[in-house]
Amino acid sequence: MHPPSDPLDPLLERWRDAAPPLPEHLTAEIWRRIAAAETPAQQLSLFARIEAVFARPSFAVAFVAACTMLGLFLAEVRLSRLQAEHNAQLVQSYLKLIDPLLETAATTRSEAAAPQS
Amino acid sequence: MKRTLFVFLLGLAGGLLAHSSWYIAHQPDTSNGLDAQLAWMKSSLHLSDQQFARIKELHARSSPQLLALGTQVARMRAEFAAFENTRRTTGEVDFLEFAHFVEQRRAVDRECAESTRRLIVAAVSVMTQQQRDQYCRTLLKSGVKTTAIDSIN
Repeated sequence: MHPPSDPLDPLLERWRDAAPPLPEHLTAEIWRRIAAAETPAQQLSLFARIEAVFARPSFAVAFVAACTMLGLFLAEVRLSRLQAEHNAQLVQSYLKLIDPLLETAATTRSEAAAPQS
Repeated sequence: MKRTLFVFLLGLAGGLLAHSSWYIAHQPDTSNGLDAQLAWMKSSLHLSDQQFARIKELHARSSPQLLALGTQVARMRAEFAAFENTRRTTGEVDFLEFAHFVEQRRAVDRECAESTRRLIVAAVSVMTQQQRDQYCRTLLKSGVKTTAIDSIN
């Protein structure tokens, strides 16, 4: 005994033969979703990697030593800048001492350069 | 996580401690007096102890007169400013007084230039050629009256 014929059957038969058309940029979309799914995992692995590196005693010692050296280097840079500024002040005060006209000369030059009121 | 944070904070504390202790221990003396100026001369010109002693003596001998001249120059600058102020406000000038002032000013300028020249000549006579060149370059760069230096070269 045959089941009664359904009007949908021929349509379903036709759909099975011809695959439905793929949406546009399917591959790109798949890769985008894969990348989006993998990003949090990568971040986690970066933290994990940092922790693993810091857990190594040799790295911890090297890190602390490097920080100390950096602190010393920056202090030396600050000191040399301070010394240079102080030297410039010393030169100026020495020159003012040995040449009392120095300031006057500089003032006269600036007055001469300024426009007449 | 705790260990990472501990190592990080230890590094930070080590850096800060090293920085501040080195900075405090090596901070230069910031006095600006004659002794500090001469110490700067000694180190920058690489003066020997003997040269330094002679240069210190020369400066110690000249500095009271130079300081007095400096005070006199400052006083005359103030006087000139007062003259100029009177001229601007009242439009009048006491020409006799001004002429007297100009005469005084010229005399002080001459005395200053001569004192400076004497000190520079005496100081460079103690120096080697290289030290002399460096010293004169410093003076010229800062605008010290060139006649004093021209007379040396």
